[in-house]
Amino acid sequence: MGSSLNKPELLKNGKRLDGRDFAELRPLKIDAGILKNAAGSAYLEWGNNKVLAAVYGPKEAMPRHMADPTKAIIKCRYSMAPFSSIEGHGRSGPNRRAIEISKVTKEVFENVVMLEEFPGNEIDVFIEILQSDGGTRAAGITAASVALANAGVKMRDLVYAVSAGRIGEHVVLDVNMIEDNYSDADMPMAISPRNSNVLLLQMDGGFSKQQFKEAIKMVIDAGKEISGIQRAALENVYKNKKEDD
Amino acid sequence: MDALSVVKSSYIKELLGKGEREDSRGMFDFRKIDIKTGIIGQAEGSAQVDLGNTRVLAGVKMVPEEPHSDTPNEGNIIVSAELLPLAAVEYETGPPSPEAIELSRVVDRGIRAAGSVDLASLFIEEGKVWSVYVDVYVLNYDGNLFDACTMAAMAALTDTHMPKYSDGAADYKSRDADLPIKNIVTSTTFGKIGNSIVLDTTANEENAMDARLTIQTDGEVIRAMQKGLKGSFSTSEIDKLIDVSFDKHKDVLSHFKKHKK
Amino acid sequence: MIGWKEMRHFVVPGDKVLDRQMRIENAYIEAGKTHSAVMGFYDDERNSIIPLEGAWKPRTGDLVIGIVSSIGRNGSTYSIDLTEFISGLVVAGKFSTLDFKEGDIIEATIQEIEHKNLAILEHPKALKMATMIKIKPVKVARVIGRAETMIKQISEYTGCSMVVGKNGLIWLDGGDVALATDAILKIEKEAHLSGLTERIKDMLEKNQKGE
Repeated sequence: MGSSLNKPELLKNGKRLDGRDFAELRPLKIDAGILKNAAGSAYLEWGNNKVLAAVYGPKEAMPRHMADPTKAIIKCRYSMAPFSSIEGHGRSGPNRRAIEISKVTKEVFENVVMLEEFPGNEIDVFIEILQSDGGTRAAGITAASVALANAGVKMRDLVYAVSAGRIGEHVVLDVNMIEDNYSDADMPMAISPRNSNVLLLQMDGGFSKQQFKEAIKMVIDAGKEISGIQRAALENVYKNKKEDD
Repeated sequence: MDALSVVKSSYIKELLGKGEREDSRGMFDFRKIDIKTGIIGQAEGSAQVDLGNTRVLAGVKMVPEEPHSDTPNEGNIIVSAELLPLAAVEYETGPPSPEAIELSRVVDRGIRAAGSVDLASLFIEEGKVWSVYVDVYVLNYDGNLFDACTMAAMAALTDTHMPKYSDGAADYKSRDADLPIKNIVTSTTFGKIGNSIVLDTTANEENAMDARLTIQTDGEVIRAMQKGLKGSFSTSEIDKLIDVSFDKHKDVLSHFKKHKK
Repeated sequence: MIGWKEMRHFVVPGDKVLDRQMRIENAYIEAGKTHSAVMGFYDDERNSIIPLEGAWKPRTGDLVIGIVSSIGRNGSTYSIDLTEFISGLVVAGKFSTLDFKEGDIIEATIQEIEHKNLAILEHPKALKMATMIKIKPVKVARVIGRAETMIKQISEYTGCSMVVGKNGLIWLDGGDVALATDAILKIEKEAHLSGLTERIKDMLEKNQKGE
C-alpha cells in the first residue's frame, strides 16, 4: 500500500485508469513451447507484464540429500529482472519478497503435479519477470502452469492465477501496478479450475467480509477466460507446426 | 521427518477422524495465551507471549532516520521474525529459510496493512522521522508461530514508550510518551489436516498438516491473509474461517487488556 | 477415410474425459469421474489418451540404448546413462564374459524397474561407435510406426541401419545417415499430424541420392 498523502485518483467516470470495467482482465496473450532447451516453456504478456516460464526435468534431484525416495520434489525460482521496473535498477539475486513468492508458487504446483510418478527426481520451475506491471506472481503462476503442461508433466489440473483488489468501495479484478501501489486491498489467488479450490491466497489492505466474497467470486468467474487462453496456447503449438518444414 | 514424528502425525490424524485433538481442545480453541509486557527494560517496548508451549519474545527499538523520499512526512515500521537455533532441534544457524522469511513477511504484513502504528505520528521534523523496528524472536517452537509472533509484535508495540528527540538525536533516557496505536491486529492461523480444520496447531499437528491459512483482522475488516503449504481450501471453508477469525479477535484482545500495565 | 486426428480431441490436465471412473493410462480418477493428467489427444472410441509431450514411462521389455558411464569396483556391474531421469544397470553373471568400457554404446532390454528410477537391463550388446541422435521418448512410437512400417521405410530409402531405443536414443550407421536423421527429426516434429507416412515417403524420395 502506498502513502495516502499523494494518492492519485484510480477511477474516472466509473472506469479504471486504463479504461477497464471493475471485473475486466487486462489483455492476456500466451505462447507455449518457445524455449528449445527446456522440457516445457511459456511466454506470457498480461497488460504490460512480460513473463517467461520454463520447466526442466524430471531429473535426478540435487543435492542428493534433498531427494525424496517416495516422490519428486519441485524447485521453484521466481525472479525479477533488474530492468523489469520503470523505477530504478532492481537488485539482482533473490530478495526476501522473491523467496516468499517462490515458496508459495512451489506449493501451488505441489498440489497438482503427480509427484509420486518420479521418486528421487526433481522438477524445476523457473519464472522470470522481464517486465513488471503489477500482478507478476499471478502472471508467473499462469505462465508456469502452461510450461508444465507443455513439458508433458502429469498434473491433476491446469492452474491459473489472478489478483483481485479494492479501489474505494469497488472490488476490482486483475490489479495493475498503479492500482497495486495505491489501492485499498490486493489479493493474488491461484485456483484449481476443476473444483475451484484455492491453492494460493495472499492478501493485504482491507476487505470487509462482503468485499472478500465479491473478490473471490470475481477471481473464480475470471477462470473461464484465463483457462481458455492457456488451453489455446498449448494447442497452438501443434496447429502451427503443420506448415513449417 | 523423523520416525517419531511420523507416528505422532498418524495418531493426530486418527484422533481428528474422531473429532478430537491430542490436548482435547475444541477445533477452534486457542491454547492458553499468556502475554507479559515490559520484560526487556532497555528496549522501548517488549513482550513475551506464551501460546501453549510456543514462546516468542518481541522487542521494539526506535531510531531517528531520514524519511523515504516518496513519503517525507511519514516514519517507518519494520517488523521481522527470526527462528533462533535454540528454539527447536530442526532450526539451524545460517541464512533464513524460505519458511522463516514467509513468517517474517506475513507478521509484518497485517500490522502494516492495518496501519496499527500511525506513520504520520512518527514525523519528527523536516528530514527526520522515527523508524520503529519490531524484532520477534522465536524462543521455543511448538507450532503456530504466525499467531504467536503477531501477538508478541502487537503487544510490544502497545508497550512502547517513545524516546525524546533533542539536539538531532534520540534521548533514550527520557521515554515518556506512549507510542500511539490506532488498532490492534490479531492473527488466527488454521491448519487443514485431512478433511479437518483446526485453529492454533501444535508442532505435532503441523507435522500432519496439509494446508495452512492465516487471517489477520483489526475487528473491522480483514487486513491480511496467507495460505501456505501444498493442500487447498474451498471458498466455503475460507468464508467460515473468516467468521471464526472475527470471533477470535475479541478473545485475543481481552488478553491484551488483561496484561496491559 | 477420416484422418486420425479428427476422431480425437485435444485435452489438457484436469479435463474430464469420462463421467464414470475407468482406469486409463495418463488419466486419473477423482470423485467417480475420469480426468486427463496430461496434454494430449483423447480418443473416445478407444478411451485412450495419447500424450503430446512428457517423460518416458519405462517398462519391462523396452529396448533401450545407453552409454556405459561407470563400472562397478568389482567389475560385475555397469552403470548405463540412458539420458533420461532413470538410469540403467547391467549386472554381469558369475561366469559372464561381458567386457564393456566406459563410453561404450550398448543396446539392452529392461528386465525390471527398481524404485521407479533404476532400470535393471538384460541382453546387453555393444554397438560400434556411430551416429547417435536423441528425440523425445513420446515420439519414439511414431518413428517406429505401426508394425515397424516407418522405420523400415527410412531404412529402405537411405540404406541406413538403425536401432531405436524407447528412451529416445537412436543409433544410425551406414548409408545416407544425414537423410535418415532428417526424416527422424521431421517425424518427431510432426508426430501428431495425419498422413505422416506419406509425407515422409515423399521427402525420402525427393532427397534420395541417385543410385
